[in-house]
Amino acid sequence: MAVNRWLATGNYFTSYRDEQRIFQTHLDRTIHVAFLLVLFAWPLVFDPGNKAMLVVDNILIAAIAVLGLNLLTGFAGLISIGHAAFVGVGAYTVASACRVLGDSHPLVTHAWPLMLLAAGGVGAAVGAFVGLPAMRLKHLYLAIATLSFQMIFQWVINFMGFFNQGQTIFVGRVRWFTGTVSRDGHYLFWYYVMLVVVILCGYAVRNLLRTRYGRCLVAVRDNDRAADAMGMHPGLTKVYAFALAGFFAGVAGALHAYVYRGAGFESFTLHHSITYLAMAIVGGLGTLVGSFLGPVAIMLLDLGVEDLSKVAGTVFAGAKNLATAFKPLAFGTVIVLFLMFEPRGIANWWRIARSYLKLWPFRY
Amino acid sequence: MSYFFQLVVSGVVVGSIYALSALGFVLIYKSSRVLNIAHGQLIASGAFITYALAVWVGLPIAVAFFLSMIALFFIAMSVERIFLRRLIGEPIISVIMVTIGLMSILDGLIYLTPFGTYNFSFPEFLPTTPIQAGGVSISWTQLVGVIITALLIGGFSWFFKKSTLGISMRAVSDDQMASMAIGISIPRVFGLAWAAAGFSAAAAGAIIGNITGLNFETLHAFGITVFPVVILGGLDSIFGAVVAGIIMGLIQQFASGYLDGHWGLSGTANLLPYIILLVILLFKPHGLFGIHEIERV
Repeated sequence: MAVNRWLATGNYFTSYRDEQRIFQTHLDRTIHVAFLLVLFAWPLVFDPGNKAMLVVDNILIAAIAVLGLNLLTGFAGLISIGHAAFVGVGAYTVASACRVLGDSHPLVTHAWPLMLLAAGGVGAAVGAFVGLPAMRLKHLYLAIATLSFQMIFQWVINFMGFFNQGQTIFVGRVRWFTGTVSRDGHYLFWYYVMLVVVILCGYAVRNLLRTRYGRCLVAVRDNDRAADAMGMHPGLTKVYAFALAGFFAGVAGALHAYVYRGAGFESFTLHHSITYLAMAIVGGLGTLVGSFLGPVAIMLLDLGVEDLSKVAGTVFAGAKNLATAFKPLAFGTVIVLFLMFEPRGIANWWRIARSYLKLWPFRY
Repeated sequence: MSYFFQLVVSGVVVGSIYALSALGFVLIYKSSRVLNIAHGQLIASGAFITYALAVWVGLPIAVAFFLSMIALFFIAMSVERIFLRRLIGEPIISVIMVTIGLMSILDGLIYLTPFGTYNFSFPEFLPTTPIQAGGVSISWTQLVGVIITALLIGGFSWFFKKSTLGISMRAVSDDQMASMAIGISIPRVFGLAWAAAGFSAAAAGAIIGNITGLNFETLHAFGITVFPVVILGGLDSIFGAVVAGIIMGLIQQFASGYLDGHWGLSGTANLLPYIILLVILLFKPHGLFGIHEIERV
């Protein structure tokens, strides 16, 4: 039977290989490629200002970090309230290199892709080390262990002279083939870098999840004792999940340091850890697409609230910083509403829309 | 030597407040297995309500103290009813995240009031000259705080040991299915556990507010430091919370008394609790007095 590889109303898998395809139909693949092309092309057409570009850059940094957190919390089921500290480890790897070698050393400015990888490696090592308690601990106890890592990280950054006591450590301007990246093109340059990194990470995770190492994570999440009985090592799998999350967070942190041209303590606090967790949940825990939707949703919410409180600030003269009050209020309300009414996150809407289109014109 | 005893005294003072804060935390965990991350915000709102009633409304401090406890009793109860009741049986991460969301909402509400931005301090209503005994001094506020804490913890212990309601709460924490079978209303017990936690949080907040002044950041940090305390004591043991609270208070005081300023260290009082926490988690995950759970496939 000739299978229509362009449109398929329903599933027609005849082998496990079919089921494991990344793109079920050619149409899926075409849309995916077209979407990526649009992502690459839009800054050339619209010319966004630096301000808008910074927002997009922030979303991409968060997307890489949340990708790691989603592997850890969504797929491996290990709650981490210390993800911002892992991101901080990545950022401070770059910052330490600047501190030791000077902030315009060729290693920092020319070999920045290497620095990104190094930051990822350091993040993975620290992640694996912090994940060691996961060999023995579960659920709530593990969440508290990661919380304590967050607090210890904050102390180390705040009280060590080497890390400039939490004050910003500067990172020099990087060089590309066309010369030093200028002030005007800075955010645009990093947009393209991060777009490539995000796409690479996205494919890496998608592929990981169809190998035995990815399925191992899900098995340990669903029932670690049963996974143990089937020959997996739950303890090692958990440590390895922490290392993976640490790697993605480390890369995100290094990018953060480069984009902001410095690393400071205030970007890696407990509050940011909670924000990453919220992004993963609002996007949809245990889904790949959720790791991208969540950061977009939360960042846009943040911006919207900021604008709203500016408007409200002009109406109610007297109330000075409404933004500090409205931000946590809106943030908390969104988390609670999502958990109560849509625990599977925005990714679930995405899934519903996809299956509707797939089955159209039939209802089911 | 008197320096040592001074540290012991202030350690016990701080520790007893930790114990009172941890008590509310343990109450919630014991009955409903919910890790209430928003406990620090409950403590802070208790302190702020007491201040508002005592200073802005002008009630006597004892009445304000009592009224804020009643207020938090009902606030915490309705929090359970509105947010947590729907999540019974949901995965742990959802429950933790709801309390995190709750923390954000309470943060936002507090930032809407003057307490979020400005610092306040309670008017002195006790003699200001500290009590001196053998080179050790303790202020009246601290002494009264410790006495109230001791009374409250004693009252809670009595409540759990003797009263019907307390016994039914212990029954629920032991075996939910069996307690349903003998006619205990589980939702009511959950609500009451939260209410009791709110009650004790208000008391803790008012006492901390009197000793250290009303600063949202400080009160906030208190809520986080409760974690090492409850882990050290065992998440579901009230007695453990008391012992661990005092141990933690002593450790913090000794750390800032003996370690800070030597070998280039500073702020160790904020670091040591978490290091102890990690060590405890690695070697004795269920704390000093917690119940070891046995898991089966």
